[in-house]
Amino acid sequence: MSQCGCPGSQTMAFKRDEATTATDSGVAVKSQLAQWPVQLHLINPMAPYFQGADVVLTADCVAYALGNYHSNYLKGKSIAIACPKLDSEQEEYVEKIKSWIDDAKINTLTVMIMQVPCCRGLMGVAQRAAEQATRKVPIKCVIVGLQGDIIGESWA
Amino acid sequence: MTSNSKLNPENMTDVLGLYIKDVIDAYPAVGAVLATAGIGCVTCNVGTCLIKDVVSIHNLTEAQEQSLFAGIASVVFPGRTVSLPKTERKAQNLGVQQLSPPLQALVNEHTNIKRVLTLIPALSERIQKGFDAQSRQICTQVLSFIREYADRFHHAKEEDILFKFFDSGSDIIGVMCKEHEIGRNHVRAALAALEQNDATTFIEQLQAYGLLLTEHIRKEDEILYPWMNRELSDSQVGKLFSKFGAVDEEFGAKAKQYLGMMETLEKG
Repeated sequence: MSQCGCPGSQTMAFKRDEATTATDSGVAVKSQLAQWPVQLHLINPMAPYFQGADVVLTADCVAYALGNYHSNYLKGKSIAIACPKLDSEQEEYVEKIKSWIDDAKINTLTVMIMQVPCCRGLMGVAQRAAEQATRKVPIKCVIVGLQGDIIGESWA
Repeated sequence: MTSNSKLNPENMTDVLGLYIKDVIDAYPAVGAVLATAGIGCVTCNVGTCLIKDVVSIHNLTEAQEQSLFAGIASVVFPGRTVSLPKTERKAQNLGVQQLSPPLQALVNEHTNIKRVLTLIPALSERIQKGFDAQSRQICTQVLSFIREYADRFHHAKEEDILFKFFDSGSDIIGVMCKEHEIGRNHVRAALAALEQNDATTFIEQLQAYGLLLTEHIRKEDEILYPWMNRELSDSQVGKLFSKFGAVDEEFGAKAKQYLGMMETLEKG
């Protein structure tokens, strides 16, 4: 395995402690998803569930890395997902986020990204949209570690 | 003595349920123990918070909290071995956290208020022998800044909006509102003294206000707001931001005017 190259695509394996995961096995975890669709290209920013909502814009990989994503971050919020590295036509993303802020009058925007550098682009997209919007809303950035830990939370 | 006093506590749980000032009055050495954990309640003007609430609001680590309880127990129950209770703790503690935008806005407003408070000693010195036309105008402007910017704009945001997100009956919110009221009384008295040409009383009242508000702001910046920041959900932060935005829009031009006045006062 090469130790150089893009941290976002570097191959890694994580050892999980059986003792800490055994308690989770077999327990049905309730989904907190309250809408469809979720992909940012597919959503309508004016959909009813975005009106005045607390929105969490989540990088694609986050929900796989973060064990308690549904209960701790998605619950009570509306969602869109995107990948700042692989998705095309990201100017549309800027327009949709701007529309959330100005038209749907969302209450807050939380941007959840992975710690890999390429993921920062999603926060950049959100900030560009916020700069272009007329309204202002609080924007929070949550950075998730590769092994599902929270690296940091900060208000933009 | 305040009403929940039970100054013969049988254990540390009883102690945590007592008003802090009652405990400090009965066991003065507790004040020094609290100070080791950065809790400066000895100088508080009101002191009607329960010890358990004061401890909780300071976001101590479990080890710091147990060390504090052990210190208090050694004063209240000398020579006795008592079990130390554990307070309910939040599952996630990311350490020092950045304030959310609306709370940071209040801290920024505090910075402006403190800039005017720092002018009080020099102003007091200047009017010791009485008012002249120019010093009277400066005193009027200082009082105007305090009444409009610090009180009608900033304190109103706290009392009418921020505090309503929390239990309005809580001792800690009660203490903050009480200090606002004490401050208003000092300002009313200073204004009356100015109208009556009584420079001595004016200086006394303005200096008392300055001391009160300096300590009040320190408590809010270092203790109250960080605690509120931990308690507010993202959704509440958004609502707070929106409500503060409405006040800023309504008061905006006036606020700018007072900030201009502040800069003029600083230039002397």
